[in-house]
Amino acid sequence: MKLNAQLKEDTGYSWVMARMEPASPFGHALVRSPHWYGPGEKDALEAELSRVEQLREEMDRDGSRTDALIHILSEFHDIRNSLKRPTSAPMDEVELFEVKHFLIHLERLAQAYAQIRPLEGLTIRSMDKALALLDPSGRRLPAFSVEVAFEPALERVREEKALVENALRQTEKKGQKDLMARRRELVLKEDRLELEARKRLTMALIREKDAFLEAMDAIGRLDLLLAKAKLARRFYCCRPQVTGDIRVEAVDLVQPEVAEHLQERGGSFTPVSITLERGATVITGANMGGKSVSMKSVTLGILLTQTGYFTFAGSFSTPLFDSVSLICTDRQSVEQGLSSFGAEVAALGDVLREEKGKFFYVALDEFARGTNPQEGAALARALVEYLDRLDCVALMTTHYDGVSEAARRHYRVAGLGALDTAAIRKGEAPLDRLSRLMDYHLVEAEPGEPCPRDALRVCRLLDLEPELMEIFSKNS
Amino acid sequence: MTKLLAPLVGDAPTVTFIGLCKNAGKTTAMCRLIRELEGEVLAMTSVGRDGERTDVVTGTEKPEIWVPSGTLFATARGMLPLCDTTLVVEGLTDVMTPLGVVGIFRALSDGYIQLAGPSAVGQLAPLSRRFRAMGAERVLIDGAAGRKSLAGAEPGACAILCVGASMDGGIPAIVGETAHTCGLFATREPEEAGLRTALAGADRYALFTLSGEALELPLQEGGTPNWQELPREKCVLWVGGGVTGPLLRTLARRGAPIVVAAPDATHFLMDRAAMELFQRCGGELLVRQSLTISAVTANPWSAYGKHLDGPALLSALREAVEVPVVDVRAEDE
Repeated sequence: MKLNAQLKEDTGYSWVMARMEPASPFGHALVRSPHWYGPGEKDALEAELSRVEQLREEMDRDGSRTDALIHILSEFHDIRNSLKRPTSAPMDEVELFEVKHFLIHLERLAQAYAQIRPLEGLTIRSMDKALALLDPSGRRLPAFSVEVAFEPALERVREEKALVENALRQTEKKGQKDLMARRRELVLKEDRLELEARKRLTMALIREKDAFLEAMDAIGRLDLLLAKAKLARRFYCCRPQVTGDIRVEAVDLVQPEVAEHLQERGGSFTPVSITLERGATVITGANMGGKSVSMKSVTLGILLTQTGYFTFAGSFSTPLFDSVSLICTDRQSVEQGLSSFGAEVAALGDVLREEKGKFFYVALDEFARGTNPQEGAALARALVEYLDRLDCVALMTTHYDGVSEAARRHYRVAGLGALDTAAIRKGEAPLDRLSRLMDYHLVEAEPGEPCPRDALRVCRLLDLEPELMEIFSKNS
Repeated sequence: MTKLLAPLVGDAPTVTFIGLCKNAGKTTAMCRLIRELEGEVLAMTSVGRDGERTDVVTGTEKPEIWVPSGTLFATARGMLPLCDTTLVVEGLTDVMTPLGVVGIFRALSDGYIQLAGPSAVGQLAPLSRRFRAMGAERVLIDGAAGRKSLAGAEPGACAILCVGASMDGGIPAIVGETAHTCGLFATREPEEAGLRTALAGADRYALFTLSGEALELPLQEGGTPNWQELPREKCVLWVGGGVTGPLLRTLARRGAPIVVAAPDATHFLMDRAAMELFQRCGGELLVRQSLTISAVTANPWSAYGKHLDGPALLSALREAVEVPVVDVRAEDE
């Protein structure tokens, strides 16, 4: 599965990726196009997670060796373009300088990598033959020039050229013409010899192309692993458990993007715990109660797991899905002229069609809220019943009564509970007041338990016009 | 060879060649100085592309740059086939140009080089530092074509102003423009220590009192200053980028005196008329870092065929400016 931009944005996956700090262009490329570990790749995923875990432990023990690796990784430039060439086109001095730079740093990286416990399935090998070619003296100096060692005939030409140039220095302008002509000849000869040497070097390097590409892949993977381990340390992430059961179980799950916003405003995120089984799980609860955030957190956890990352939770376990989708009001489709209902239905249709016969996960945020409540509720309920027949795990938030009746599991947001009017502090900003009084925990509820009637209280806490509130409470 | 420019630049660590127009003779002057500084380890680059045998824009013959063995230079990768010295690649910068990445090279023999260096001012200072770390004793910068280059000034840096006949309007216009430019370069640094410190940390735009206390700068929605709401009492407006004619006119039309401070004189891009209007309305200029013009060089040969009377141009320039005026080409032959 390929993660699309909308899904990454909506779940906060993009936010997490923006906090990844790979050091090399090869690592960057891997962060940009993550590998999706599907149902058949449990072993490969476990191996990847073990490597991340091992690096995290290494960092916990003593960060100096991994810091050294990261420092060397930051020195790499992308030389893939230099290798994608017909062999007849010789590399110029700058390209050869870049290739030498790459090889010197590859050697250093291999040496530094040997200092840590080897990661299973990841070898960093220096390319001694290629390096010896570009650094015949073995001094490992960064500079590159077409040396006499590459083409012995250069020695004589350069000596002669130096003599002419020396003579030019001693000669008045008028007498320089012949010397300049002689120098021109020598320059052309030198150019030809240098070109020959560059051609030979290029051909020899291109012969090693596969080894170069392999090395770049290994560098990228090591970089990605270090960045994953660093991220996991920074946010206290946990290693997810990959299960064979059809069951997603999250304990103390955090949506890091929302958590950061809350922290900036002086609040804190209430971690949520939830278990999903085959079929649909429904979350109901007060407006502003964090239903959507909980749903997105679970989805993010699955995306991170299946791309080989640690998750933002106390513990997290999931099976491997063929695909993961999130259906919520998509601003872009609405801008393109679809109603929010139309956009949802179209997106759902796509998922059901494309994932037929596969094992998939889908999350739906207040599905069918954009149409009339009776039909909306009936459609949402029908969907829950239908999903129950499919090979999938679904999570749905809703305000409609009756939907949870058909669901495998039902959670509700603890919400405002018995709100004490004395708790309303004067002068407090309405949003701060709401988040102080709201209990965002998810509580397991009975199937069919009616949705809480909290709109009135939420409006009151948000300081809605008193006159309007009066009519509202009379009517409800 | 008579040393004309070397004594005038003294021991300035950086010499920038500034041209008042295209074909002002910047490269000729630079080549002259390179020969006069024989024995020094020089490093050089250009702002944008320069040093071609034929000027890409006007199609006129241009002198190439001949450097002695050991010279360091920064140029775009695409210029390498046009450099005929034996060379070593010392390193790469992170400056990208349409001609490829800018690399740092060392000439291992005498020969011609072609320069196409960074085009942003901010990229010159780090490059100069790298040159010095590699052993350069002096850095020469071939400024961009056009009136002036935005070459950042270092303490002690000097500039050579090159003027030529390719400018429209004949001798009077050339002389007037040269005097205007020399006048701008005579702009002083602030005397108030507080203001000096304040300017040292200033960024794109900022507002200070005359003694250097920060004032709030009224901003428009887009983030640019709202010129009409600047205080009426005299204050110092810091402009980190180019100080243009339209800006000075806008400030002058407010009818209240103001001091405009810029990083150095190469940031003054206004025409003479705007400058005069600004000064008549009580406006003043300051620079964070003064930059001396050590010499004016004159090129009577026009790129467009309208050659001027060389001696007449020289004497008119000498009358108008206090800086030494040198005819690089005539005295070379």
